[in-house]
Amino acid sequence: MLRRSGFIFCLAVTVALMAVILLPLLVVVLGSCVNASLLGLSTDLWSGSRNDIFDFSAFAYIFQNYGDWALFSLELALGCVAICLLVAVPAGYALARHPFPGSLLVEELVLLPLSLPGITLSMGLLAAYGELRGPYLVLAGHLLYTIPFMLRVVTATLRSFDVGRLEAAARSLGATLPQRLFLVILPNLRHAMMVGSLLVFAVSWGEFNVSFLLNRGRPQTFPAVLYDTYTNQSIQISSAATTIFLAIVIPAVIAIQWLGGRESSDLEQGA
Amino acid sequence: MRTLDATIATPPIAQADRRRQLAPLLLSAPLLVLLLALLVWPLAHLLRQSLLLTGAPAAGLTLHNYFEIATVPRYRHALTWSLELSLAVAAGSTLICLAPAWLFTRYQFPGKRLMRGILILPMTFAGMIVGFLMIILLGRTGFIPQLLERLTGKPFLSGVGYQFPGLILAYLYFEIPRATLTLESALRKLDSRLEQAGRSLGANRWQVFYLVVLPVIRPALISTFAVTFSVSLGSFGVLLVLSIRRFTLLPLEIFTQYIAPPTDQGLAAAMSFTLLAVAFATGYGLRQVARRMEGGNA
Repeated sequence: MLRRSGFIFCLAVTVALMAVILLPLLVVVLGSCVNASLLGLSTDLWSGSRNDIFDFSAFAYIFQNYGDWALFSLELALGCVAICLLVAVPAGYALARHPFPGSLLVEELVLLPLSLPGITLSMGLLAAYGELRGPYLVLAGHLLYTIPFMLRVVTATLRSFDVGRLEAAARSLGATLPQRLFLVILPNLRHAMMVGSLLVFAVSWGEFNVSFLLNRGRPQTFPAVLYDTYTNQSIQISSAATTIFLAIVIPAVIAIQWLGGRESSDLEQGA
Repeated sequence: MRTLDATIATPPIAQADRRRQLAPLLLSAPLLVLLLALLVWPLAHLLRQSLLLTGAPAAGLTLHNYFEIATVPRYRHALTWSLELSLAVAAGSTLICLAPAWLFTRYQFPGKRLMRGILILPMTFAGMIVGFLMIILLGRTGFIPQLLERLTGKPFLSGVGYQFPGLILAYLYFEIPRATLTLESALRKLDSRLEQAGRSLGANRWQVFYLVVLPVIRPALISTFAVTFSVSLGSFGVLLVLSIRRFTLLPLEIFTQYIAPPTDQGLAAAMSFTLLAVAFATGYGLRQVARRMEGGNA
């Protein structure tokens, strides 16, 4: 009986939180393409007079005016994934398997940006490399916030089983270093690298604080499109931009959730 | 057989040892370079900038910018409001998210994965997006006020999204995933037999919670508080969209100080460093406290 009432209480709070999260998203997604008066919303702020039920003109507007911004943001996110894989996976292996003096400090330092305000770090980057302001500095800022995710997933995976023993077994069977790398270590890291890449991609795609300050001129990142439409455009166009944003982020989060619960607890901090 | 033995014996131990020491350093060298170039060096620059007067860098190092934050009411309020808001949001989200974290770790039921996925969704939303969502939901022509007006004939809750409740709700919105995940990973380690033992000794539900569960999860509560506090402290996107009159937060002040024309880079740098020091001190300090508690319990 006690157990039952505890369950119902927790379930009620959780359902309420779900409603708070989902309701505005639902209104935004529907409002971007369905006639506002059908949703029970006043039409004057949402759009002009329309008689159609569906209207995708706002999406056409976004793609026409901000298509290159979206493309830039996608390129940036993929670039982050590539660099994180190249930098954080070998380092994660070294830190987890062969700790050296000061390696704990390195791990702390990598995680540090997650608990520091983005505006501070971007101001620091501007103070040091102000003349480089532009896409490359944005990439630098994104790396600060994405490397921790990749590194954490990789080190957590390597610490969850005895990879040293697997390596020793492979070596005793005569496997050379490249064989051990490609047949033992990397296959065991494949899952972690997939989850890590998705995390890095999602974080980079959603990052606004750092990119906005570090960039100059066009094109900006996609969250800057959102800011632009929120401040200058009708709610319908803003909703369409937000819907496009969600269409990229939601599949990534679903994939992370689907791929595994253990790594997704590494999400716990973030931009 | 003899030759095989010989090949196994030959690799000189010293050489293998040196390789074992060098390899991890080489593997993590790119990461170290990136950290030095993108984190340590820029922060050192920022510290130096905060100690220089913007108009007269030749005047040498001075704490004038920091004094200005402490004395000019607008900046001082921005700092205290930032602290108050972050404290409230961190405490609130830690308490509220205890319920879903408990639900996900203690009970098995259909649809759990889906519910968890929905709560994690706002993880990568920038604050500015959440601000927009609040306008959609509770703005002057937001969904809820219009729905209520249709149902009751009176415009209830209209424009609340632009005021403090909207601000708090927006901050809670993007803290839900962080708080839930941090608490969840801590609760998973908690042995449910402890609660059963407490109950079998005659404790009621609240006694079990206060006397058995709470002492064990206190480190998790503290580290969740630390995570949510530091995230709230650095966020300004919500206010960028909602813009409440006569209210400001320190990160927003930095942002406007840096973007809007009469810029004062030294002052902005000093504000940045103040924010960084507070975020780092609370985050690091609380994590140390949590770690010590965990050590004491084990």
